[in-house]
Parts: sequence; structure tokens; C-alpha cells
Amino acid sequence: MKELFTNHLQEISRRHFLLESAAGIGGVALSTLLGGCFSGKPKELMTDSMFPRVPHFAGKAKSVIYLHMAGAPSQFETFDFKPELQKLHNQLCPQSLLEGKKFAFIRGTPKMLGPQASFKQYGESRTWVSQHLPHLSTVVDEMSFLHAVSTDQFNHAPAQLLVHTGAPRLGRPSIGSWVTYGLGTENANLPGFVVLTSGGKTPDAGKSVWGSGFLPSVYQGVQCRSVGEPVLYLNDPEGIDRDLKKKTIDAINQVNQEHYKEFQDPETLTRINQYELAYRMQMSVPEVMNINNEPASIHELYGTNPGKVSFANNCLLARKLVEQGVRFVQLFDWGWDSHGTDENLAIDIGLRNKCREIDRATTALLMDLKQRGLLDETLVVWGGEFGRTPMQENRENKIMPFLGRDHHVEAFTMWMAGGGIKKGASWGETDEIGYYPTKGKVSLHDVQATILNQLGFDHEKLTYQFQGRPFRLTDVEGKVISEIVS
Amino acid sequence: MLKTTNLLILSVLIAAFSGCKKQLGQQIDYSLDVKPIINKHCISCHGGVKRQANFSLLFRQDALDTTEFGKPSIIPGDADHSELMRRITSDDPEERMPYKENALSKNEIKILKDWIDQGAKWGNHWAYVPPTQVEVPSRSLFAGIFGSAVTKETEIDYFIDKKLKTEHLSRAQAAGKTDIIRRLYLDLIGLPPSSKQAENFILDDGDDAYEKVVDQLLASPQYGEKWASWWLDLARYSDTKGYERDAGRNIWRFRDYVIQSFNKDKPFDQFTIDQLAGDLLPKPTDEQYIATAFHRNTMNNDEGGTEDEEFRVASTLDRLNTTFQVWQSTTFACVQCHSHPYDPFRHEEYYKTLAFFNNSRDEDTYGEHPLLRMYDEKDQQKLDGIIGWVKKTNPSKEESILLFLKTLEPKIHPHDFDHFVNGELIDTKFLGVRHNGSTRLTNVDLTNKTTLVINHQTPEKGGTIEIHVDQLNGALVAKFAVPSGKGGKWNTSLIPIQKTNGVHTLYFTFTNPKLKEGHPVSTVEWIAFREDLPGSNQAGYKAIKKDVDSLINHSVDNTPIMIENTERVRTTHVLERGNWLVHGESVKPEVPKSLNLFPQGQQYNRLGFANWLVDKNNPLTARTVVNRVWEQLFGIGLVETSEDFGTQGAKPTHPELLDYLALGLINEHHWSLKKLIKDMVMCQSYRQDSRITAEQLEKDPLNKLVSRGPHIRLSAEQVRDQALSLSGLLSLKMYGKSSMPYQPDGVWQSVWSDDKWETSKGEDKHRRGIYIYSKRTSPYPSMMTFDGSSREICTVNRIRTNTPLQALVTLNDPVYVEAAKAFAKKMAASSTDPSNQINFGYKSALFKEMADTKLKVLTRLYHDALETYKKNPDQAMKLINEAKPELAALTIVASAILNLDELITN
Repeated sequence: MKELFTNHLQEISRRHFLLESAAGIGGVALSTLLGGCFSGKPKELMTDSMFPRVPHFAGKAKSVIYLHMAGAPSQFETFDFKPELQKLHNQLCPQSLLEGKKFAFIRGTPKMLGPQASFKQYGESRTWVSQHLPHLSTVVDEMSFLHAVSTDQFNHAPAQLLVHTGAPRLGRPSIGSWVTYGLGTENANLPGFVVLTSGGKTPDAGKSVWGSGFLPSVYQGVQCRSVGEPVLYLNDPEGIDRDLKKKTIDAINQVNQEHYKEFQDPETLTRINQYELAYRMQMSVPEVMNINNEPASIHELYGTNPGKVSFANNCLLARKLVEQGVRFVQLFDWGWDSHGTDENLAIDIGLRNKCREIDRATTALLMDLKQRGLLDETLVVWGGEFGRTPMQENRENKIMPFLGRDHHVEAFTMWMAGGGIKKGASWGETDEIGYYPTKGKVSLHDVQATILNQLGFDHEKLTYQFQGRPFRLTDVEGKVISEIVS
Repeated sequence: MLKTTNLLILSVLIAAFSGCKKQLGQQIDYSLDVKPIINKHCISCHGGVKRQANFSLLFRQDALDTTEFGKPSIIPGDADHSELMRRITSDDPEERMPYKENALSKNEIKILKDWIDQGAKWGNHWAYVPPTQVEVPSRSLFAGIFGSAVTKETEIDYFIDKKLKTEHLSRAQAAGKTDIIRRLYLDLIGLPPSSKQAENFILDDGDDAYEKVVDQLLASPQYGEKWASWWLDLARYSDTKGYERDAGRNIWRFRDYVIQSFNKDKPFDQFTIDQLAGDLLPKPTDEQYIATAFHRNTMNNDEGGTEDEEFRVASTLDRLNTTFQVWQSTTFACVQCHSHPYDPFRHEEYYKTLAFFNNSRDEDTYGEHPLLRMYDEKDQQKLDGIIGWVKKTNPSKEESILLFLKTLEPKIHPHDFDHFVNGELIDTKFLGVRHNGSTRLTNVDLTNKTTLVINHQTPEKGGTIEIHVDQLNGALVAKFAVPSGKGGKWNTSLIPIQKTNGVHTLYFTFTNPKLKEGHPVSTVEWIAFREDLPGSNQAGYKAIKKDVDSLINHSVDNTPIMIENTERVRTTHVLERGNWLVHGESVKPEVPKSLNLFPQGQQYNRLGFANWLVDKNNPLTARTVVNRVWEQLFGIGLVETSEDFGTQGAKPTHPELLDYLALGLINEHHWSLKKLIKDMVMCQSYRQDSRITAEQLEKDPLNKLVSRGPHIRLSAEQVRDQALSLSGLLSLKMYGKSSMPYQPDGVWQSVWSDDKWETSKGEDKHRRGIYIYSKRTSPYPSMMTFDGSSREICTVNRIRTNTPLQALVTLNDPVYVEAAKAFAKKMAASSTDPSNQINFGYKSALFKEMADTKLKVLTRLYHDALETYKKNPDQAMKLINEAKPELAALTIVASAILNLDELITN
């Protein structure tokens, strides 16, 4: 099977993509006509580029929900409890921490900033969680924490690109694209890779974090929206009802069939198939994007508010999407860049509010997945693009109007749950002030390798031939974090 | 050497006497036989990246060198004593290579053995050997079966036919006139012909009817717009800077330059030189400067807290990678971190080549300097007056002063300052020093400098800046009251400084006791040190100086361009593993050894490099262009991997044809792309019918052998332009700022940015796709759905996909609904009979009568729709804003026609 898969991936490499996409209905026709080219391959390999495929080995997870807190949440007010830092509060930062370091905004000698939240231990795992996350603290025994994730990018856009594409510059495929390229989708009537955003902005790196890079564009993330059309151009134009749209598509396809009879281009058959799919998508997407019909208990659980754009709504949508067979759901929530430049970006005000916005919904997502028996096969990942400094930001060497923390690359916290991840585990530790990892340091490529591993991929073998060499998500790095894999 | 020769002779002798195990005379070819085996089985561990056991098969020199085991692995002429042979045939799994992988096949082992016995000669990969004169195949026997008096084969056909014959295929019949005219129009100008244009051709029985249209189209202004979209993908042209804020960039003049260059048929060698080094040509014109914006299309990071140098380096690497992609079909980016894993390029060679690009003035600054200032007529007169004055008073200063007045270069940016006291770089962009603060600038040559030019914004009066030499309290060379300006206006002030010769460190101190705490005395964007304007003792000097002041303070439109450093020249270092912070040895500019020699008499700068690229001996440039143009017209290149001619790329399907066309481009067409394109579209192979037979699909599924006419889905731009053209909405307005056609609300949500998508008014919203505003982090959605490029990096070819989202665009996007409605109106006006109206619509798109079976389907759709709209007139109102059920029904049919496979493909 492994070999078949590798063969298959080679087949849909750049130069063969033309052929590969000429499938769908046409696949059958093609396979008979091509004979030698495809002989000996299972039938499913001949169908279209989103057809469900088997990974390298049996993965625990079938789908992924990735919650990205864009702007980078502070680990000190969430999951990395540092009582020693409190003792150093307001003292000048020792030079040893500053020498040879580059910061985005800190200049001169900043002061240390103690945790602006109190912590308690929860669950059987005795996990420290801040007071800002009262709901999440009840489900810590479902989660595995990574307390010593590190990166080498201290600006948002490149750092987000590194998280999602494995490289800090634009142009590489995002993780969701890699996954749909490798696995296809289980529900052809929905996009295989869906993106939901909240917080009023797209992430700093823009749509590139869900782009398909050099992979065929069919693998790029499709942004679904709670306001306006759920997917761009999904709604029929005003004045065209469903019945008439059906008739239109039928007519187009009948004429195309005639055209196919004459020209025999398999691509025409694919197009016929895609028009049918488009019609079905027009029904299934609004259906799955509509949360009005969810029971009151679910709304209560998530704290959802139908008709609005919110992180809570997106969490509920994410559950609905994976339930319907969507492979990769990416949530971006903007507004976590707590520099202290204004109230919304203050560590003690804005950050607390952001935590409240996500606390109940994230918890609900885990509980809801669990009660539906979906958590075991759904990997949930939470994190930002880097961490924040234990020092208080002093932009331009001045006192900031509010308490803030600058970008910090050395260590930050992420967590995963479900999808074959250990329950109530923790890996990685930082020093007494949360500055450097002291144990279990992992890179973002390690995190990516782990996500792919849970889906059944050897991250070194999920490759795509481009510009004469095989590219992969984890570039030339990455190691599965076995410590949190069950 | 002697030893090797002896061994070779010996091995030949042994072979001769050892029962003739191998057939003598069966010469092994390195590139054809050996390299594929090495690439498949060996190179990933013994190549340019990994050199296990210190053994690498990339270069011959390395392969014959002593390995970790103290002896060479390959002994030329003596396979039996070569460790390599022992290892690939060993029974011990710990020893047998490839390690832990399947063993080589018997045949592969034999090839390697023979190859070593024959001397282990390295061959050159075809792409690195310059093309040589090829013999044109004779006219094939079966050629001309379908030919008539008006369809003559060309030499291209002889090559194509020869190959078809070897595959037992033959050329298809010529496409019908209705099909070929549409294909030709779409390929040459990106738009379908009008009914009249198609009809003229169809009715023209002259021998030259087709050629006449080809010539007309090549002369059409729309030709440049069509071919520009190909080039702009390569140039990664975009209207924004990229990264976090992704703010707007004023670089549309480059897009216009490309369109104009194609329309003028600027020879490709000159087109190359202008874009890579126009600024280094003698007395560059504005056009030549604007051409250099090619490499200002790199991204610029405005995010707060970024290191400009990091992103300057990133841009420079991108320029080199892009240049090799665009002109050499070579994946040079691999060599950024290590020697090339498969192809003969060494790590140091990357940085030697980078050195050509590493000395430009741009430094990832917020202001995107250097910029070419676009002067209006009045300003131009002033400029001419000043230059006239300089020519008269001190002609040797003309070049430097002209450059300064046109670009305000060379300037010094805030990120060059250090040792801040009570001051900082504001948002890592501007110099912001507060009351009693200071900052330092090192390495300034003050020789003959008499003026400090400072671009700054100073809202509060009362500030003073002092400049001291060499120490904070060193000699004072300038002290001036900072000129203030209201409302945040930026001023460019000329400040006299005392003459001080030599290179110095300067300390700038800032005071303004009236300022509130925390406010900078002045916000400085850049400074420059200038020599005196000549002729200060002559009459009229004051007026000229005033003109200078007014000229440089005039806020004008501008375009980012390339300019070479003359003052603060950079040294290029090898960057260890491509990391901008880890400098290895310093290197001088040089081109890779595997390619042609640097042309004699050329300087080792960007200009010399550009001349090297278009030198007749460069093996890759002409082949690359020919292949890409072929790919545009035939849907697939003669080398299928048009991005990679290296050893991992595909071999050419028609190597002789590729070389024939490449040499023709250089020697006969003198780099004229129009002539090249004409050659291609004139051949019968291009003009074939595109129906596919079962035999073709089996033997030539991708049409690499050109066994039939190209049948390709239209590009993103073409899908849009065709719909607008058929509906009569299309505006052919050329050039200028990009336009913003309809885009759904809420698509743009960039952080830290107030940029808004503001739908263009009037005809602007119906301009061709090439003019649509392109934002890197949020590209125009419907273009992306049809595989357009987001222009983040150089895109060599767009992968064509076929997805449901494409159907949603052409069915539901208001742009297409509007087009359908306008199209329906044209159809309605053509006749009173619905069937005739529908046939008219079809015919105006495809120039032939609609087949009855198809017409019946669409007529039925019309009547179904009519019934619906008669029952619900308000629905018709919603759709077309008119209470006309018939027009609404026809709009439905028009939309269906716009969605037909026949229209979406060429």
C-alpha cells in the first residue's frame, strides 16, 4: 500500500496533474483508454484529485481542527505558570537575557513583568491553568501540552507562514493543502480544507497561510464565512431559484456531453462532474454553515450567537464540518498581539477578554466532539505563532500606556487533544522565568511532523516534486513528538 | 592522468581477452545511461547535499577522490577493482548499496560496470551544452495528405512529423476555419474574434488569409496585453508589497512597460538587459529605469519590528532565484543552502552569482527607495534647466546630479544609524530622537560634501540638530534649526555643512526643550550628503538653486527601480545554509562554471551578467524562451518541465526542434518574439483539429507529440475577458493604475491597514483581467479560482485545475451575471425567434451553427426559464432589473452558453 501511495503521489506531481485531474467520471474512460499507463493500479487512484486516499500507515486521526490564535497569545497568562517571575516583577531585566538578542520592539533595558493572572492546578494531570480559562481547566485531562515550542521568526507574517507552511517566506503549500493532497476528502460535496476566521481580520500573513503554494490550486483552503455568502459565489444570483439552476446545469452538461462525443477530451467529462458537484455544494455548504437549527443545549454549550462572526460560532462550525467529513478545518482568531499599545492589546485587559472569548467555545468543542465519539479521530491543535517575553515591552525605550509583552521566539506553549494524542500529558519545560526551554524543546517542524503522523503520514515521505526536487511540509527537519502520542 | 590512461588501455585489453563478456563498441553515454541511475539510486546520499562516506557523484573530480575509506570508490577503466562495483553487488546487507533499499537491476549494474570500464567519463547534461546547428528532417511522406494549396507545411512540421512517425502516429487534419480563428485570436491577443472578424477570415479564400490574420493580431495592441500576463507571472508583478501589512505599491508602470515592450517587439536580448540592468546603461532613459522594476517586484516587509537587512537579503536571494528560473530554467534556489543535489552547481557558485545582485541601493525600506520620480512637463523643464546649468558650469557633475534629481539617490536610511541615546527607530522605520538625545552614523565620506539633504517631518517648531565629527563632542560641522511643517507634511531640506575631508563617524544631537516628553525633535526618513551645485559664483545660481529646492520638494508620482551602490558598496559572503546572519567567506561576482564563460570585455556587474545571459554561447536562455512560448501555444513545453531543464527535469520530446527554434530565435529572428510566435502558429501542427482519437489518447495522452491541435482550458484572464467581450461590456482602455472590478464585500481584511477595495467606476470595472489590482495576500478571488497566480514568487507555469468552484464563479459571480444579461440583450436583438436568438449567441462565440441536439437542449432551457419568469415576474425583475420574462429567460441561456466547455476551452 505504501508503495502504491508513493506512486500515486508521484503521479499527481506537477507534470502529471493534467492527467490526474482529467478524472472524475472521465477517470474510468481514461483508464480504459490509457491501458498501459494506469494498469495495475486500484480504481480509486484514477478518480479525481479529492478522492479519499489511504495514507502511509493507519493514522489515528481522520481530520484536524487547528485553532490558531493570530498575534501570539502570552504563555504567562494561560498555561506556563511561573511563580518566580512574579518575584522579579518590575525589576530591571538582567543584561544576560538581552545580549545578542533581537526583539521586535523592546529597546534598552526593559523591566520584568510578572504573570498577570493567578494559576491553579486542575484535573488528575494536575495541570496548571490560569484563571482566565475556567472552562478549559475542566478538560485538561483530554489534552497534551507542549510547553517548550520554539521558532526562529519573531515577526508575525513570517512566523505564521512557518507555522502553517513550514517556511517563513511566501510560496509554500499550507498544512491543510498538504493534508488534502495526501488524503483527499471524505465528502466531495464540501471543500476538503475549510478556513474560518474571527477577530475582524485575516491573519497577518493573509490568505497565504491557507494557500496551496506550488500544489495545484484545488488543494487551497476555502474560506467559509458566517456573514454574506458562506463561500464566495456560492449563492445563486437573485432571481434564479434552485429549480432553474438545476435545469441550467443539466442543460450545460447535456451540451457538454454532446461536445464530448465529438471531441473525446476526458477533461470535458471532468467538467461535467464538477458542475454537478458545484450544484450539490451549493446545497451542502449552506446546510453545514447554518447553525440556527442546532439545539439550545449546543448553543448554550458553545456560547454561540447565530448570524454573527465569532470564534464560538466557528468552533461549532468546525465540529459540524469534521462531522460531515471535511478533512482540515483551520480557525484563525485575530487579536492576540498583546503589546500594551492600547487597552485591547493589554496583557491584563485585552488578553483576559480574548481568553474569555475562546474559553467556553474551545472547551465545548472538545466536549462536543467527545460526546459524539469524534474526538478520537479528530486532532485538535491550539497555538500561536510564537510566545511573549517575560519582560514588559518598552517600545522605543519608552513606558507603554498599558502592560504588554513583546514577541518571544525561544519558548511558548501549544496544546493538542484527540486524534491519538495522550490524555492529560505534558512535554517540555521552561526555566523559572519562562525564557528558555530547559527540557523537551520542540520546533514547529516537530509539531507539523506530529500532526501528519497522527493522520498516518511519514512527514519525510509526503512530498511533491517541484523545481526538480521533492518538497515537503517539514523542509529538511522535523521529528514526531512521540512523548505526547498515545 | 598517465595512470588512468594506462588503466584504460589495460582494461580494454583485458576485456578483449576475457572472452568478450561485453560487446565492444557499445559505448555507454553518461547523460543518457548513467546519470539517470545515479539520480535514482545514489545521489540522495552521495550528491551535493549529503556526502556519505565523503563520496559524492555530482562532479567527476569528487567521484574519483579518496573516500572516507582511504581509497577512491571509482577507478576509471577498472570496474573490477572499483569499490563502487563491489558495494552495489555485495551480498552483505550492511555493505550493499543503495543502503537498505532495493538492489540495482542487473542491467543497471552492467551499465555502471561498462561505464567505469570505459573510463567513467562524465558527460554534459544536454541543457548545459549550447545548441548546435541541426539538420531539418526531410518532408515526411505522409505530410500533405490533408494539406491543400492553402496549408503548407513548415520546417517545424517536419520535426513534428518525424517524431510522430516513430510513434506510428500521423498528424490530424487541419482544424476547421471556425475553430482555428478562435484559437488564434485567443492565443495571440487573449480575446475571441468578433463575429465580423471571424466572418472576414472564413469568407477569405485567399492563400494568405490565415497569415494576414496572424500579422494583424501580432500588430494589435491587445497582443501585448495577452503576452504580458505570462511575463508578469514570471516577474511576480503585484500591486502590493506582500507580508503582513501588504500595503499598496505604485509599480504599474512596469506592467505597462511589459505590454509596450511586447507590442513594440522589443528584441528579447534587449528586453532582458533593460530589466536586469537598465540602470547601468549609459544615460538610462525613464523606460530603461522602469524596466528594472522587474526585480523591485520582490516583497517588502513593513511589519513593525522587522530587520530591514533580513528582508533585503531575502529579496536579493529571490532575485537570483527568479533570474535563474526565468532565463535559465534552472532551480538555483537549491544551491542557496548547499551544493545542488543533482545538478552541477556548487554552493559557493550561488553566492558568487549573488554578488552580481547584491549591490543595489534598495534596502527593504518602508518608502521602497530607490524610486524614479515621474516629473510632469513643468518639472521636466526645470530639470532640463538645471542640467543645462551643470553642463555649462561643470559637466563632470552632470551624471551624479541628474541621478539625484531623478531619484534622490544615493541616500542613507535610518537603519544605518546606531548608538541611540533618548531616541529610537520609530516602528523600525524612521529616525526619532528626542530632546537631548543623539545617534551615530559611521563610515561617511565627507570629501567635497557641502550639503546635508534631509527628508523629515517636524510638527513642532524650535528644534535644533547638530552634527559633530568623530565624537559626541567633536568638531561641529552643522547646526541648524529644524524647519517645521504643518499637518504632517514631509520636507526635503538642504542644510549647509562645513567642508571636512575624509571618512568619518558622525554624531547627530537633537534638542527642543519645548517638546513634550516622548516626542521626537524631528522624524527623519532619509538623509544624503551632496556636493555643491556647481557655478556658485556665476549669475543665475540662486534661481537654479531655487529650482533644485522646488523640484526635490515637489510631491510626485514614482516607481521603484534598481540603482547600483556607488558609495556604500557591499561585500557578498557565502551564507551558511542560506542563513542571512551566518557569513562565510567573502566572494567576488562570477558565473557558474558549468555554463558559458563570462563574455570578454564585460564588467563584472549586473549589466555584464545580463549580457552573459543573452550571450550566444549561453546554452539555456534561447531554449528557455522558445520552450515557454511553445508551452503558451501548445499547452505543454517541448521540455515538459518548463521550470527545470536540469537532470531531474524531463528530457525534451523534440530536442532537435528545440535547438532549431532556439538558434533561429538568435540568428535569424534576432530575438524577435513576434517572429518566433509567427513561426509557431504558421505551422500545420498548431493548426490541427483538436478532436482526440482513442489511438492518440493511448499513445499521446498529454499531446506532447502534437498529434492533434491544442485543446486547453482558457486562462483566468481569458475566461473573464471572453465573457466581457461577448457581452459587449469589455473596455479596451489600456495602461495606467490597476482597476478594481466587482469583488464581494469583506474579502480584504489585512491587519494594520486601512486599504479598501473600491469598485472602479464606469468602463474601468470592465477592463481586461491584466489590469485587475493584484494584492498578494488577498488576490482577486475569481482569478485565483481559475489558477491565476498570487504573484508571491515567480510562477513559471500555472497548473490547470478543473474544480466545482470554477463553475460557481462563471455561474454566480455578479461579473458573469452582468455579462450574461448584456449578452442576452444582444441575442434578443438578433431575432424574434428564441431558437434563432440562442443560435446567434452560440454562433457569436463559436462562429458556427449550433448543432440541433445542442440547440434543442438550450431551447428547452429557455422555455423552462420563460415559464418560471412568466409565473414569477418579480424574479425576472430581481435578475435583470426589468420586468421582461423573455429577456430573463434568455439571460439564463446566455449564462449557460458562457459556461459551455466549448467556451471555457480554446
